[in-house]
Amino acid sequence: MKETKRRFIMVVLAWIASLFLVSLVAAYYYVEFQKEKSANTVYVSMYNNLLKNYTSLLQSYTELLNDYNSLAQSYEVERQNLTHLLQQYESCIMRVNICIDYGNGTVQWYNQTIVPLGYNLLQATRMVAQVNSTYWPAYRSSFVDAINGVWNKGAYYWMWYYWDKESKAWKYGDCGADLYILSDGETVRWRYEIPNYG
Amino acid sequence: MKCRRTATLIVMAALCIGVQLTPRPPNVEFTSLICFLTGFLFGALFGALLGALTMFINGFLSPWGFAGIIMPFQMLGMALMGLAGGVYRKLISNDFSISKSLNFESACLAAFLTLIYDIITNVGYAVLFNLEIVIVLITGVWLSIIHVVSNTVLFGAAFHRLVKIVGSLAGENL
Repeated sequence: MKETKRRFIMVVLAWIASLFLVSLVAAYYYVEFQKEKSANTVYVSMYNNLLKNYTSLLQSYTELLNDYNSLAQSYEVERQNLTHLLQQYESCIMRVNICIDYGNGTVQWYNQTIVPLGYNLLQATRMVAQVNSTYWPAYRSSFVDAINGVWNKGAYYWMWYYWDKESKAWKYGDCGADLYILSDGETVRWRYEIPNYG
Repeated sequence: MKCRRTATLIVMAALCIGVQLTPRPPNVEFTSLICFLTGFLFGALFGALLGALTMFINGFLSPWGFAGIIMPFQMLGMALMGLAGGVYRKLISNDFSISKSLNFESACLAAFLTLIYDIITNVGYAVLFNLEIVIVLITGVWLSIIHVVSNTVLFGAAFHRLVKIVGSLAGENL
């Protein structure tokens, strides 16, 4: 075969090969493009869904924020009302400290107990403990029989004291508990003991 | 066949198999060149046999792992490469000694034959795994390009010199 003819055939073969490869590359990029295109469609759809969700969330958030602001305003109004009520309430109550000493080492304190203004010791004690008492018309007062299920027994009785701020000592109560009107900030004590009046 | 030619042929076979089994970048190979050269110098039959034998051994001992059922297609493709070497020798016949364009022609031929080899193996892969042939060809296009370009450059740069060297070893006066 002549060299020119042979060379022509070789060039044609190489040209076919390169053409084929170029076609494959083009096809490769076309396939990749189609893949990306379909992926892009999915991404756009996802983006739109996300945007919709975001918008919905934003609306909910705005509504919540409005509700919160409304609640905050209501709260402020109510707070002012309550503050006013509390001020009125403060003028009707007092705070007392009540101690219950069972005489066996058990001592219970009810500090800053809020009781209505003008309450006597018996009424205040009933607010912190279960009290059994008997009214004696002859003395026009009540006698405490038991506190929290601990009854007067034998020589043991429930006696009450008040704290004398001047002498800084406990002093026996000199009347029935229902006759003793408490004052604000006062400290009183019940004690289960054998009375000692000496 | 003369002893010298036989010895050279055995050396070519050993070289071909050894180089094929040596770890190398994917789709960059020297087997095509050696098979084509063998077919060119020792005849189409020897070229085809060497190509088939090399890919058969490669199928079991390749650094990339067992070739599996693709192996017959690889053997066919490489046999074609060796066969083409012999046919090409027939085509150039007397023109060989003066052909300055041998490198160019062999490069062109290498591009075409390598593409044929890739098409055969890809078609085999597609048929065996029940895949679309076009999809397999498209997916492997970059590997094919590496293969074709590397073989084109290799043939273009080395074929003429190797013909001279191996031909003289085999006792041919080229």
